[in-house]
Amino acid sequence: MAAAVIGACVVVPLQAAAAQDPVSEAIAHEDARRFGQAATAYRALLTRALSGGDDGDQIALALLGLERVWHELALRDSIVPVVDEVLLRRPADPVARSIQFRALSTASREAELRAAFVSWRRAAPDDASPWREYVRTLMSMGRTLLADSVLADAARVLTGKNALAGEVAQIAATLDRWNDAALAWRAAIEDMPWMEMAATFSLQRAPETARDSVRTALSAAPIALVPRRVLAALETGWGDPRRGWAALAEARTDDSSTVAWKEFAERAEAMNSWSVARDVWSALYERSPDPAFAERAAEASLAAGDAEGALRYAERAARGRSPASRATSLLRLEVRALGELGRAEEAAKRVASLDQYLDNAQRAELARPLVGAWLRSGNVERAREVASRAGDLDDDEVIGWLALYDGDLTEARKRLVRATTRDASLTDALAVLARTKIPAHTGLGAAFLALARRDSANAVVRFAGLADSLPDAAPALLATAARVSTALGTTTDAVRYWTRIVSQHANAPEVPEALLELARAAVRASDTATATARYETLLIDHPGSAMVPQARRELERLRGRVPEEYQ
Amino acid sequence: MITRCLQRLARVVVASVGLVALLAPGAMAQSLLVPMDDAQRNHLKAYGLAFQAIKSTQRAEWLLNYRGGAFLLPDAADLRRRAALDGVTVEPIADRDVVRIRSEIAGGNMDAVVLERAPRVAIYRPKDQPPWDDAVTLALTYAGIDFESIWDDEILNGDLSKYDWVHLHHEDFTGQFNKLYLAYRDAPWFIAQRQRDEATAARFKLPHVPALKKSVADGIRTFVEKGGFLFAMCGATESLDLAMAAFTVDITGPFSDGTPVDSDADARLDWPRSFAFRNARIEPSPYVNALSDIDGHQVNVPARRQPLGSFSLFDFSAKLDPVAAMLVQNHRTNIPDFFGVTTSFNKGVLKPGVTVLASEEGAPWVKYIHGDFGQGSWTFLGGHDPEDPQHAIGSAPTDLSMHPNSPAYRLILNNVLFPAAKKKPRKT
Repeated sequence: MAAAVIGACVVVPLQAAAAQDPVSEAIAHEDARRFGQAATAYRALLTRALSGGDDGDQIALALLGLERVWHELALRDSIVPVVDEVLLRRPADPVARSIQFRALSTASREAELRAAFVSWRRAAPDDASPWREYVRTLMSMGRTLLADSVLADAARVLTGKNALAGEVAQIAATLDRWNDAALAWRAAIEDMPWMEMAATFSLQRAPETARDSVRTALSAAPIALVPRRVLAALETGWGDPRRGWAALAEARTDDSSTVAWKEFAERAEAMNSWSVARDVWSALYERSPDPAFAERAAEASLAAGDAEGALRYAERAARGRSPASRATSLLRLEVRALGELGRAEEAAKRVASLDQYLDNAQRAELARPLVGAWLRSGNVERAREVASRAGDLDDDEVIGWLALYDGDLTEARKRLVRATTRDASLTDALAVLARTKIPAHTGLGAAFLALARRDSANAVVRFAGLADSLPDAAPALLATAARVSTALGTTTDAVRYWTRIVSQHANAPEVPEALLELARAAVRASDTATATARYETLLIDHPGSAMVPQARRELERLRGRVPEEYQ
Repeated sequence: MITRCLQRLARVVVASVGLVALLAPGAMAQSLLVPMDDAQRNHLKAYGLAFQAIKSTQRAEWLLNYRGGAFLLPDAADLRRRAALDGVTVEPIADRDVVRIRSEIAGGNMDAVVLERAPRVAIYRPKDQPPWDDAVTLALTYAGIDFESIWDDEILNGDLSKYDWVHLHHEDFTGQFNKLYLAYRDAPWFIAQRQRDEATAARFKLPHVPALKKSVADGIRTFVEKGGFLFAMCGATESLDLAMAAFTVDITGPFSDGTPVDSDADARLDWPRSFAFRNARIEPSPYVNALSDIDGHQVNVPARRQPLGSFSLFDFSAKLDPVAAMLVQNHRTNIPDFFGVTTSFNKGVLKPGVTVLASEEGAPWVKYIHGDFGQGSWTFLGGHDPEDPQHAIGSAPTDLSMHPNSPAYRLILNNVLFPAAKKKPRKT
């Protein structure tokens, strides 16, 4: 009994609310999937709205509701006469018209669609909405050429020349008229900057032969930021961020362009286009001497291999900073840059001058780049001294490398295997050390030291020369020589070393890699027969190799069995 | 019963003769077993390996229902080489293993079918079409099985007789371009396709594209009648049967031939001319993107579209019904469905005698059917691309190296291989 009373208390107010609010009632029915009742409620709402003051919002609400529920009831056509009824009273009602267009296009009633468009146009002669809605409807129906014709009519009739620029651009792009598309997008984004993303996506598809006309359209005077930003994004997407930056660099100086430049610099960094990123951060610094920009420029310079530039920007970034701030934020970068330049003495002095601002953890962090700096300057003793001073670091990697440079292979083997980083040079070193049991070999240490000093050509000669004196490790040494040669761009030497591995060390674990690299070299030389033979040898003779999936894929590609989209 | 006993006895004798031959001096001491169960790393390329074995006149055997429909190949160096190149799992086995396998096959619902002649394969496709838009072209290209492309000219010139096996994909043989004019009439590729077909019709002095495609359909019908093997997928299944049944009836709208559909078209359709269907009703509306009520899914008619489920392959007696058994060899029995211009076939319009190879449980449609016609046979598989179930025009092509174990693509390749069977097997 108590429950019934509570229930009654709850139900009565709800019913009262529903009776007072037909909108809520209709929506409640729709939410409960009582579509028949919802349709009745929306129809009543519409009747009331039309008779009681012609309330546009209520009419729109009712029409959209009816469209939804009749769709659920598979009665889509039922909306057409109701919309017609509304349009008798409100012939230019945009909501009613868009519903009418949707219903007629879904039913493929093209003649009536056309008539509806003409009727709307007459009701609103200066309005672009009828044209826009009709064109979009035609495009969604795949009637691109007809939509194009309608737009041509619109251009003659409408005075606001850019009103339909977005639609013109989309159709031109669909029809591969890239110059028209670029011009129209340019016009569209000038008035409607929110279409920037749509323009970028649309124009991204432009084929290489059409890109110059896109560039011309977007970069034409007057220079405006949004078209330039679109062009920069396009160029970056087309694989040339340098050109993208050139497009963006000319934009006039204001807050918006500063934001655009920062975003572009970060995008270039994400793409590992470090030299472009450096130029953008540098330009930002020139525009506004914020030390943060200089610091980013310094980091990008170092990543781009421009150590001199890194030092220059680090110097600018240091301006106005306290020594303590410089020690914590810039010193490591400076030491790395000086190390790359072989200026270890200077790096050591700089560390010493700021030592009072460093804690132990920061000192330890600086030890490795400092050791690297000394090694690159050729001074192993000083490197060892730095390492021993930082002995409490227990840095197996640093100690292991030093041992290797000294030719102490036993110590190097023990230490380097425990190193936490796994870069390519460490992998090469471990591969060589694992292939020989000899405890010491100064020649091998000297070869790795040459590599550490960035004396790559010398290192290649040394590694290749050691192949004769260290026969156990010969394939690994030759593979290291080949990899360094490839990095140096001396591919002929690389091919010679890979070939030696295949011909003289047929059972070595480096053979699959050698075969894969030789096949790739043959592909680059357009020697399909040799490439095929190399791939096939790898697949047949080394079926368990980790290189097999790559080789099989590349062979399939060579045979034209991989769709172009996946090349 | 006595007949079956005699058949089994004959089979044991044949198997024994085969064993003696294997043990004869100079014969290969070993064989290569190509497992087709989950031990196989690349099911699709395994068909290419079997095809090569047959092509190079080395006998191959298809071990129906044994390890997913394994192949038994001679242990030849070139086959080992190709298996290694393609990443196909092979198991070298000794003669005693072959004997054991044959014994196992004799005792269960399994059989060994000798494959001895590589079929000459043709795919009905425009020569300039990229190979990525047709599941069969994709499958054959990936598996490394040779084929030639033929189009309307070749068929109308009588070149079909050069081939054993012909595949059709989503061509509309009613000449209505799959009613794609509704959505794509302005698309450059559609315009090019229409102009190409109109030019071909003019070249053969045919009044319009529907007449051209009906003539092509009739050529295909004659090919099967005279002993050819036909495999069709997607819209080609439905439209081919409609075109054959409507040889003297106008079932196309004015957009394609300039005249309206015959008012009594349904009643006048000559179903005995068709392969698989009867009593279907054509869809006369030019605004409804469907040809008839044959397709159960009607993917291009939003109000009628049915959701995708999965279909199950039927189990057939390998010894008594080897053709059907060959067509359903697989390492899976339940396969996710995939849409196509024609996705499935309503049960209500199937002719009596049509063999249903796969269907969706509880659904009023079937997926995969087979039958004989004259001296030849046909197989229909609904759907467009098994590994792209929602395929749309403009979708990226499927890269089969990402699907080397695709069970649905295996169904396509089963069809390529079964015409290689030694003799036309009996049907229950």
